[in-house]
Amino acid sequence: MKAIVLAAGEGVRCTPLTNTRSKVMLPVANRPILEYVISALVDNGIEEVVLVVGYEKEKVMNYFGDGNDFGAMITYVDQTSQLGTAHAINQAIPALGEDNGSFLVLNGDNIIEKETISKLIADHAGDATVLTTPRETVCGYGVVMSAAGKVKGIFEKPKRQISHMINTGIYAFNRDIIAEIENTEISGRGEYEITRTLQNMVKKDRDVRVTVTKNLWMDSVYAWDLLDINARLLANCGSNFSDTSVIDDSATLIGNVEIGDNTVIRAGSYIVGPVKIGDNCDIGPQVTILPSTSIGNNVSLGPFSDIQNSILMDNVRVESHSHISESIIGFNCNLGPYSICEADNDVNIEIENELVSVEKSGVVIGDDCKFGSRTLTEAGTLVGNNCSVRSGTKVDRHLPANSTVL
Amino acid sequence: MCGIVGYVGREAACPLLMDCLRRLEYRGYDSAGLSVLNGDLQTYKAAGSIDNLAEVLPEEIEGNIGIGHTRWATHGIPNDVNAHPHCSSEIVVVHNGIIENYLKLKEWLEEQGYEFVSDTDTEVIAHLVHFYSNSLDLFEAVRKSMAMLEGSYAIAVMSKNNPDTLIAARKDSPLIVGLGDNAFFTSSDATAFVAHTRDVIFVDDREIVKITPEKVEFYDMEGQLLEKQVSTIDWDVEMAEKSGYAHFMLKEIHEQTRSLQKTFAGKLSELEGNVQLPELKLTDDHLRNIGRVEIIACGTSWNAGLFGKYLLESLAGMHTDVSAASEFRYRDPVMDCNTLTIAITQSGETADTLAAIRNVVQYESSTIAITNVVGSTITREAENVVYTHAGPEIGVAATKTFTAQLIVLYMLAIYMGRRRNYLLPDEGKDVIKALRELPGHVQQVLNQRDIIRKHAAQYADRRDYYFIGRGLNYPAALEAALKLKEISYIHAEGYAAGELKHGPLALLENGTPVVAIVTKNRTYEKMLSNIKEVKARGAEVIAVADQGDREIGKYADIVIPVPATNPLLSPVLSSVALQLLAYYTALEKGCEIDKPRNLAKSVTVE
Repeated sequence: MKAIVLAAGEGVRCTPLTNTRSKVMLPVANRPILEYVISALVDNGIEEVVLVVGYEKEKVMNYFGDGNDFGAMITYVDQTSQLGTAHAINQAIPALGEDNGSFLVLNGDNIIEKETISKLIADHAGDATVLTTPRETVCGYGVVMSAAGKVKGIFEKPKRQISHMINTGIYAFNRDIIAEIENTEISGRGEYEITRTLQNMVKKDRDVRVTVTKNLWMDSVYAWDLLDINARLLANCGSNFSDTSVIDDSATLIGNVEIGDNTVIRAGSYIVGPVKIGDNCDIGPQVTILPSTSIGNNVSLGPFSDIQNSILMDNVRVESHSHISESIIGFNCNLGPYSICEADNDVNIEIENELVSVEKSGVVIGDDCKFGSRTLTEAGTLVGNNCSVRSGTKVDRHLPANSTVL
Repeated sequence: MCGIVGYVGREAACPLLMDCLRRLEYRGYDSAGLSVLNGDLQTYKAAGSIDNLAEVLPEEIEGNIGIGHTRWATHGIPNDVNAHPHCSSEIVVVHNGIIENYLKLKEWLEEQGYEFVSDTDTEVIAHLVHFYSNSLDLFEAVRKSMAMLEGSYAIAVMSKNNPDTLIAARKDSPLIVGLGDNAFFTSSDATAFVAHTRDVIFVDDREIVKITPEKVEFYDMEGQLLEKQVSTIDWDVEMAEKSGYAHFMLKEIHEQTRSLQKTFAGKLSELEGNVQLPELKLTDDHLRNIGRVEIIACGTSWNAGLFGKYLLESLAGMHTDVSAASEFRYRDPVMDCNTLTIAITQSGETADTLAAIRNVVQYESSTIAITNVVGSTITREAENVVYTHAGPEIGVAATKTFTAQLIVLYMLAIYMGRRRNYLLPDEGKDVIKALRELPGHVQQVLNQRDIIRKHAAQYADRRDYYFIGRGLNYPAALEAALKLKEISYIHAEGYAAGELKHGPLALLENGTPVVAIVTKNRTYEKMLSNIKEVKARGAEVIAVADQGDREIGKYADIVIPVPATNPLLSPVLSSVALQLLAYYTALEKGCEIDKPRNLAKSVTVE
């Protein structure tokens, strides 16, 4: 079996992190979301993967290359205009090659594990199989109605709670449904959607089945959801120090901590796992890192800084005496001494003219931002990429990209 | 500059040889050929790329032993006749290198009644081996022939009379043997066969290899059996594939965010303001006594060398000269045991650089090689080696290996400066901080690819392009000009901006694009005057400037911003921006970007 993975979309609701990379490339537990999808496929013996890329595709291609490092053989298909899932799949089908076997379709931006799709692969029969998973609230998801293992209808984001089974966006298709995909008409949202294709097939009485998974399937709707996913994935992290890492004798490491190549943990640092630290980092002296924190590659943390339940992406630099809690710091950010990223309970975050209530949240900072010293960023603030914040200032509202705070 | 391959094993040789040849295509691509032995000798060759060779091959060729060749013309124009393998009755030879005494040998062989069909120097090897094989077996015939040959060569030889033996030998040209399952490979570069095996033995100069289906044996020129060590290649050939990018060059430009990290991984210590280079075996005494540094390199590496000069002077206080290797080797250099020689070569096989570093031995100068290829010839010639760790580079125009060379030179300059007590810890710290920030800054430059593409298209139809800069931006200007001419075939020149008045100003016409690298450093104001100078002559100015520079927009037609960083480091960012400019210009013009005409990736001939 081969697989088509859709990785062309931007993921606008994960702004500001998706201003500079697509959602599939957002790192959780130091691996981009898409890597979890690829690994799940490879673990199920599916090595030939067609990746449909578009938005910020270079970052995807740089990371995954030809797939060899991940045990996969990846072919890239460039979807220049994002016209919907059916359109993307249709473009990818020629890359599946000559063989006429069935194939999988997955979204690249949902976190899954091996077992999530193993039943789908084993059970697939008929013309198409839809993988569903139960959710208490189905708000914002597509919902699948079924009877006796057969799909009766698929509804995009219904207003009423008509079923608890949500559509994971993972499907198995037979090769002969290609014509159906080609003939999919444009939807009300102006896209060619694969759910419409499936609806059409159901109407024509084609054999569309349903399989349920109760294994890992997580979606980061908003940027701050990454923190929950990160914590959950870090729970499986081991205790592992690279041979080339240097850990000072006076540093304390408790619980499961992973440390990458050439990373230095300096004197007096106190790290409580689960924590993952990437390659080439310079940590300390006297730094505190508390659960559940992921620190990318080439990050440096200055003395007396204190990080908890946060994601720091590659090349981040945090100077001394800084405090970061419940926050996500994007690639290449530079935080001066005494920078505070504050956290609070029951924070209301305004995004796309909607007010979203978050149980506990810190701040989300996009790529390439520069903070001076003694800055305070209030809980629930989103800072766009490439912002510059002068020393001694307070950031108490969202900053659009390229802002300067004087 | 050519690539050779050989296979001895149980599988059909032809498809394996073709696979190997395709992977070697970067070494040259103006003709290709192969021979397979199956009782009879079958030879096919074609001018042009490997694809042209594929077209003339029959569906299936039997035989489990064969040799192949991809050629970059040195003697004789690229055509079918001059393509390798070359035959002399039952002998076939493929060869990489140059036989310097070939005219003399040719005359002598013609007296012996041999008829030459091609213009190549390789044909003398075939006839010479044939001459000796009348009385000797193939191995002895090759050994005897080697004694007659002057110049550089890596050869693979087969004979119809020895249906299961392949003989390979080298002198001053790269040759590697790969040990597979019931199969042996030999090639100029492990890239060719690394998909089949990673266990390799490096063949040294004046060694002869005898390969049969059962075993491989190494001999010296006296015919004594040698013990050789097996090494393992640690990179993937798959890494060398394009993975979604239109060209290797674009892929390699984008890889710089990661490759730069690999170059400095584990070497920077920001807190101490120092760099760790344990691979250098230079004593403090020796370092303090060094009176002069001689940097030797060719092409892009030479431009990196000029960076090195500025850096070693300003960070380490060391008098530094930069020489083109092809000039250096025929000069009478003044050097002694207190001169440090730094040789820079991406491939580690650049013939002129190798010859130059062999030359300096007589002066007892200590040597450091900066190279990207582990186990390459230069690593055995130099006393010290610093690797750039940029991974294999396939695009002929160097991109990621150039920036990696720069990183090594920054590290070397800081290292020297600190050990010689010239550079203060705090000064070292500033540069190291900026080095650590560099991968992120490079990413910011890459994010502007669409804007750079637009500007590139705008000027792609121009006949000439000029690049100007001062200080460290001068070598950056030279490199940017080299990139543009290599792949877009536009006439491009790099100049020190202060030199404009001394000639080049006369060349400017209305609409000539002038790229001014004008990131902030102590020459910024001077650069602004230079820009006004060229504007006044009708040139259109594309300025590469620091982000947030409000001044420059008043003078330049187009501004390509790069992130503001330590002035010592900003030329790296400008270089990346201008790599993109060259790439998109060539793309707009429809040039063959990864294989520019008349050029080869590593120049293993003089």
